[in-house]
Parts: sequence; C-alpha cells; structure tokens
Amino acid sequence: MKGIFSVLVENRDGVLSAVSGLFARRGFNIDTLAVGETENHEISSMTITSTGDQRTIDQIEKQLNKNVDVIKVRRLSESKSVCLEMMLIKVSCTLANRAALIDLCKMMGANVLKVAPKYMLLEYHAHPDSVEDFIQAMKIYGIIEIQRTGTIAMQK
Amino acid sequence: MKLTGAEILMECLLEQDVDTVFGYPGGTILYVYDALVKYRGRINHYLTAHEQGASHAADGYARSTGKVGVAFSTSGPGATNLTTGVATAYMDSSPVVFISCNVADSLIGKDSFQEVDSTGVMLPITKCTFQISDVNKLADTVRRAFAIARSGRPGPVFIDILKNVTAETAEYEFVSRKQHKKSGLLDALYDRNMADLHKPSIDEEDIDKLIEMIGESEKPMLICGGGVVRGRAHEEFNTFVNLMDAPTAITVMGGGGMKGRNPLTTGMIGMHGSQASNIGVNECDLLIAVGCRFSDRVALDPASFAKQAKIVHIDIDRSEINKNVHTDHHIVGDAKEVLRMLNEKLSQQDHTEWKKHIFSFPTETKYDEGGDTLNPKQVCDTIARMMPENTIVATDVGQHQMWAIQHFHFDYPGQLITSGGFGTMGFGLGAAIGAKVGNPDTMVIHIAGDGSFRMNCNELTTVEHYHLPIITFVFDNRTLGMVRQWQNLIYKKNFSESDMDRGPDFIKLAEAYGLRGRRVTNQKDLAEAIEEAMACGEGYVIDCMLDIDEMVRPMVGGGSHITDFMKV
Repeated sequence: MKGIFSVLVENRDGVLSAVSGLFARRGFNIDTLAVGETENHEISSMTITSTGDQRTIDQIEKQLNKNVDVIKVRRLSESKSVCLEMMLIKVSCTLANRAALIDLCKMMGANVLKVAPKYMLLEYHAHPDSVEDFIQAMKIYGIIEIQRTGTIAMQK
Repeated sequence: MKLTGAEILMECLLEQDVDTVFGYPGGTILYVYDALVKYRGRINHYLTAHEQGASHAADGYARSTGKVGVAFSTSGPGATNLTTGVATAYMDSSPVVFISCNVADSLIGKDSFQEVDSTGVMLPITKCTFQISDVNKLADTVRRAFAIARSGRPGPVFIDILKNVTAETAEYEFVSRKQHKKSGLLDALYDRNMADLHKPSIDEEDIDKLIEMIGESEKPMLICGGGVVRGRAHEEFNTFVNLMDAPTAITVMGGGGMKGRNPLTTGMIGMHGSQASNIGVNECDLLIAVGCRFSDRVALDPASFAKQAKIVHIDIDRSEINKNVHTDHHIVGDAKEVLRMLNEKLSQQDHTEWKKHIFSFPTETKYDEGGDTLNPKQVCDTIARMMPENTIVATDVGQHQMWAIQHFHFDYPGQLITSGGFGTMGFGLGAAIGAKVGNPDTMVIHIAGDGSFRMNCNELTTVEHYHLPIITFVFDNRTLGMVRQWQNLIYKKNFSESDMDRGPDFIKLAEAYGLRGRRVTNQKDLAEAIEEAMACGEGYVIDCMLDIDEMVRPMVGGGSHITDFMKV
C-alpha cells in the first residue's frame, strides 16, 4: 500500500538527514520526498511518500513521531487530499512532429517553456499518476532529461 | 552574569545536579577542562584510560543510579572512540549525555586536524544530536539535551560544541530544573504534543480491557523486560506478579525488575532461556509483556512466538507496539503508572494447576560436579554465597554474561548492568567503574570472560588510581567461549580464530596496574580469593579457570521456535 506523510519539522541542520536516515536505517522505502519552508521560517514541511505493507506504513508513522525534531506527522489518505507533482521534461522533436507535440501538450495542460531546433522543454504539474501517464506519452518522442519535484500533498 | 561557554556548560551541569563526569581531554575541549578546575569539588571528573571506558562508565553510572550519566571527549578520534558506548546506551535505553567539542567555527568542514562530523556519526545511535555554534544558545541546548535524555523512553543525547563557543562569553542566568519547562526551546518542545517529553496518558479503557482478559485467562504468563528496570517499577511489578499468581520470565534487560528469588519467576527467557520460561510462553493462553521489545534473542521466531496466546504489550514507546511481534492488545504508558492502575483493579488470581505444570520444568541449569576446573555454576554460587545480596554485577558479553544472569538473583533495578541490546564486549569494567562511583557504599563486581576482559582491561588503571574496590572475576576458558560454542554446535567444530591461547597473564597484568589478583581452579581457592579481595579494599582480579568446552545451556538456535532446544 501507499503511505503519504505530511511532516512538520524543525528547520535546523541535520533534520533532513535525520529523517531520510531513519528510512534508510529501518529499511523503509522513500518513493518521493519534497521539503520546503513553511510560513514560519523555523519550521519546514516535508511530504514523504512510501510503499509497504500496513505494518511498515504504521511503523513509519510511529518512528517519525519519535524523532525529536519532528513537530507533527499527518498521514494523508489519497482520496481526502490533494496530491500534486511538478516536472520539467526535455523531449526531442523535429520540425515534422512539433505541431503534434504542441497539440498534445495543450490537451494535457503542459506548458511549453522553450522550443529548440531538436527538442522542446515542457513543464507539467498534475497528480503523480497523471505525471506518470504524461511521461509514457512523451516516450514516443524520446525523453532527453527529466526533473521531478516529488509529491506534495495537502488534506482537502 | 557573563561567563565563557565552558563555564556556562559547568553551570548547566550543576543545574542538572550533575556532580560526576567521566572523560578524556584533548585539543578542542581544553577550555572545558580549564573550567573544570574552577568547579572542582562540585563537579568531579574521572579520567579514564580511553574514551570508550568513559562512555561505558557514564552508562554504568546512569543505569545503577537512575540519574543521567555524563561523558566528555575531544573531537575526532575522541568522539569516535565514544561511539561504541553511545550505541550501547542507545540499544539499552540508558540516559547519558555525551559532550564533545569540535574544531572552531573557522575550521569546520575543512578536514582540519582531529575533525569529524561527529553529530553525523552519532545520529543513528542517539535520541537526538546537537551541534552548538552560538554561545547564546548553549545553556538552552544543554537543558534540552538533558530533558530529552531522561524523559519518555530514556536514551543517549550527543552535544557537539565548537571550540570557539567554549571560549566566547555570553550572559548566563541560573534556571532551576523545575523552571526548565518554561524556558527557551524547551518551552516550545513541551507545548507540542511530543511523546518523548510527555509521559503518555494511559487510557482507562485499555486497563479495563486487560483486566477482562486476565479474568478470562486460565494460563497466564508474564515477561519482565528492561522497561520495568528503567521505569524503576520493580515494586509495582512484584505486586502485579503476586496478584496474577502467574509464572514470570525475565529478559536479560529485565534483571532486577522483580525479586530474583520470587518463587513465581521461571528465570531467563529466549535463546538461553530456561525450559520453564520458554515452554511457558509456548503453552500460555495470555502473555503479558511489560517493557520488553520482543528482540530476536527473546522472540526468536516472531511468527510462531506465543502464537497460541493472546499477547498484551505494555510499553512507553508506541513504536515498539507491533514492531516485532503482532499483539492482541497494548497499553502505551510508563510501566510504573500502568502497573499501579492495574494493581488497583486486579483481584487476587489463583493458577495453582498451571503453575504446577510450568514449574515441573527446570528454571535453572544443572552442572556436573568435579573435574580439575571450576564450572560456571560453582563460580556464581560461591560469589553469591560470600558477597552481600545487594552486590551490583556489571558484566561483559558472552558465555559468562549468560551464566551470571542465569544463576545470580537480582532484586532491584540497577543491580545488573549488562549490554543486552548491543552486546558490547569490553563494556563491563568501564560500567563497573561508573556503578562504583555512583554507589560508593555498595559492593560492585565485574564479571568478564577472558576475551572481553582483554578488550578494555586498560581501565584497571582507573580502578587503581581512584581506589575503586571492584573485584573482576574472569571466567577464563582461554577461548571466545560463545563463539566456540556456536562453532561446536553449528559450524561442525571448525574452531576458526576463537582460541585465546596467548597472553597476557591476568594476574601479572593486575600487578602491573598496581593491583593484586589470584588464579583459582577450585571452589576452596575461589572462596579464599574472594575473602582476600573483599578485605583488601582495592581492585582485585580473580582468574577463574573453566573448561574450554563448557557451554551455556539450554540453547535455542537463532530464528528457531522457542522450544526447539538444541542438544547441548
């Protein structure tokens, strides 16, 4: 099963390493990890997604709660929260198929940031599943480079 | 008033009622050692032979007194030498604050002399680490470190102070420990619902449910774990055991959590557990484990462990629930409080038949008498007969550790000091030093194997210098006994690199350190040696010669079903 954790942590040295290290030490998977400051610059927010059986996901929550620098752990359910991921993707294209690619981007809601003779640079943000779909769709054209932010999530 | 960082550190230790520190100086921590002179008499520093010795001493001090232990080290190798002791304290939930200094701010990250990322190194083996680069935050951070070390499930905290911070000055104001909750960073920490600082509030319904389960049970079994010891809940646990009228197994860490001579105890449980304990767990219909984390040395095969029974887990650490063994009911809370609530509601139970059945199995191992050498039970029995009942026993790790725990009876928390979780050979002598310093009026003995003793016997110099009358008993079989036992039983007698057929002569070694010692091969000589040792009022080494193939019995192989006793 999938676990989505929204974690508020103290914004100080070593906290990111403590949290990511916890996953490594205890053999938990990190699928994605996104970190940023909150409105209070002393507090950061992390969204961590992980996969594992029920017991593992429960353990992750308990172990996160044990960390002194963790202020609050919230487990989000996919149905009751908004999950979003942003991606920058460089796709190769030629003069011949450029128009088709632009049409596809329009249809899917991706933004064209740069058009070069041999490639296009696109920005796409959506639910992580849609991001996966978009990547599949781009494979036909040939993917040169991808940068993904990882999932960020918030309870509705 | 304006003080230097080093002086603020001293003041903060005094705020915490710390009067004892173990440590070793070096370049980066010299301002702190400089300040120590000014605080002599109020803060007593014990200089060990090695930082590892200091780390174990602080741990032994903490375990035996229930107070927070403190150890100092310098940067780089000083800090890394602490690590084995830090991990040992972490695995056994012992509250110790380790304080190290690092290179100055201007040198950090430049691969400077004796520089290491010590907070990074300590991260996975502490409850929390702090690096202090601002003298104004020093007092607050030290207060916070102590609060974290001693609260909830206790454990080690590591503080790394940059050298320049110890020399810089800042305004310091005394804040009494009671006021700490309302000061600086701690205030924010307490405001949050932080499991680590607040004792979890116990749910009355959980208690009622357990009382109901007890009422339905005909064959209950109890486990006394390390949480009973750390929570100093021995009296409550004894009452609980007696009310339950149930056989009670004791884990390695649980030694001292109940009266060792209580007729309801089945002795140790797990890999070297007694038949009565292991069979009891396997046949009971209700298993109540208090402060025990079902480690792989207890719940050898978690899938089949007490599968027939309803398992109830009482622990202060929520993350222990359902971590290793799936439980049917749990109560998260401090052992002392949970047991007190249970005892209030619990009526006297009677399980005569069930007890009769379980106690028909042995609770202790029998040994053959005779031969040229001593056997482990003879050594333990002679020690127990001749020494005061409240003697504190610090052990190393291996066969001697199991024998000591199997055959001695521990009556109160802190009487047994042993590295159960991390299994640190070389732990014993440092730990005994800490225990003796913390309990000057109680007899302290150190039980070692020849392998373990060889590792950190350098601390005999500390024993001698501070005139600590610690008696070391070496269970000497001229081999790494536990390794040889596994090689005997599992590795087809292929005794690879386990023979200790070499020096030093432990008696001459003791003499080199200015102490006395004696080698003994029979009970009469042993008794004489103990008499001499107790009379001399100094450290003493008794080298007890055992047979090389002596084994710890019974034994269940790792990962096996708990009643699959090997033919030993």
